[in-house]
Amino acid sequence: MKKLSIAERLGMVNYLNQSKTEAKPHILVDTDICNTGCDHKATTRVCPANCYTIDDVGKVHFQFEDCIECGTCMYACDKGAVTWEFPDPEIGRGVKWNFG
Amino acid sequence: MEDKFDCIIVGGGVAGLSAAITLARNDMKFLLIERGEFSGSKNVSGGVLWGEGLSKLVPNYWEEEDAGFERFINHRRLTFMDSDSTFSIDFKSDSFGEKPYKGVIVLRAKFDNWLSEKVEEAIGASKYPDESFLAPNILVEEVLMDGDQAVGIRAGEEKFFADSVIIAEGVNNLLTRQVGLQDDYVPADALAVGLKEIIKYDQTVLEDRFQLNGLSGMSNEFIGTATQGVEGGGFLYTNKDSVSFGLVLGMISLRDSGLKPYDILNEFKAHPVIRDTLKGGEVVEYSAHAVSTGDMKVMPKEIYGNGVLVAGEAANLLMNSGKAIQGMDYALHSGVLAAETIVEAHKSGDFTKNTMKTYRDKLEKSFVLQDMKNFQGAVEFLHSKQMFESVPGLVCDFGKQFFSIKNEPTPKTRHMLSKSVKKHSSYWQLLKLGIKGARSL
Repeated sequence: MKKLSIAERLGMVNYLNQSKTEAKPHILVDTDICNTGCDHKATTRVCPANCYTIDDVGKVHFQFEDCIECGTCMYACDKGAVTWEFPDPEIGRGVKWNFG
Repeated sequence: MEDKFDCIIVGGGVAGLSAAITLARNDMKFLLIERGEFSGSKNVSGGVLWGEGLSKLVPNYWEEEDAGFERFINHRRLTFMDSDSTFSIDFKSDSFGEKPYKGVIVLRAKFDNWLSEKVEEAIGASKYPDESFLAPNILVEEVLMDGDQAVGIRAGEEKFFADSVIIAEGVNNLLTRQVGLQDDYVPADALAVGLKEIIKYDQTVLEDRFQLNGLSGMSNEFIGTATQGVEGGGFLYTNKDSVSFGLVLGMISLRDSGLKPYDILNEFKAHPVIRDTLKGGEVVEYSAHAVSTGDMKVMPKEIYGNGVLVAGEAANLLMNSGKAIQGMDYALHSGVLAAETIVEAHKSGDFTKNTMKTYRDKLEKSFVLQDMKNFQGAVEFLHSKQMFESVPGLVCDFGKQFFSIKNEPTPKTRHMLSKSVKKHSSYWQLLKLGIKGARSL
């Protein structure tokens, strides 16, 4: 079987409220904490949906649109940078699994 | 709906739905709130529902034409892997086809949805068919408290009141934290991230490849190179016309490895033996979820309070003891016990801790907490680096020697074993591991 990129994998995920241009974020990340006070930047390493990335100059960036609500970042961040909630069914993003 | 409910259940997964069926059968008035569009639409598991609990909850479920499960398990395999070989312990028994089944493979979007129909049926058959409800697509944001007594829930601007609340919200237990039963921050040490692909096949191809007959199915766990040195293991379960294939990776170990979880999954699939096993399949879904490992130190401080009970993985009731990854059976049983406790509280009219505490007593006496307590050593044992690195390497190395015929004088098996042991470990290390394993398993 062909190796799949993370983009190809996330391409199979059914996200909710895709038609809405402005979904309400269910995770807030204070990346200042990541970029100034964190030695491991764990979220960028463990997130299975690649929502946390590091740019060329080593800064952490976060986007919630690809989030599959797994919760991993809530545990992995031990610096208090991640505020995690479940997405609002009406105006939030989030997943609907076909198989689960 | 102005009246107060006897109970509000938060979460329509296995724990919440099992609680709901039990409440309905005891003529309780309840509201079950699920945040997904339907039960199961937000849920991910490996997943095997082990044991016979389902047959007690839904008697003779196997007689239904399209019951919610994929296949029953009559074939189990534990595979040790190094970079180019696998060495399996393989057990298949026709006796596992006897009902009730010992384990069924499920896909949650289908299974939970099916189980929610059983809730509807149970409500319909109860004394109050118009006073209990399943309410999907609603997010509970808060458990309402009157002092230290839970009295209902809030979803957006709406409030619903009840004598009791069963929190069955899953591993990411925000409400359990809100009511003060769990710490606000739960560290990653005792958690893992599970990743899974659903890989689809023509059904006859799947049945031929895995020697399936009718609804029979196989579970296969992997230890060794599957995880590229990260703590954890792999799994493969046969569904009707697909396989659930994935990894469970310790979060801290993954963090420190510098490897991306989805790249490890790619490498696992590219392993020469796995490549041949999965050949020709088409990936139709990729999913992932945080999962507890069974380490009891991250369990909530308590699983009951005044007017409130915590069931399923919200209470971190899940364990990988090496024999099987058990979670959904714990969820089912804890949901039933939570509901039975609510029924007793309703009879006595006392929804305070005094009655709620019996939920804990029931769980302590049941296989759920008995097993979790007795197998804490096994949980720790499976987390040791030797178990997921040296042992699989040693086993595969021995396999390569033992099963190769070279047409030159063959050394005795004990010499082969000795060579493999020295290469990957030492007798002293193995002895220590053996003692630890014998004690914990």
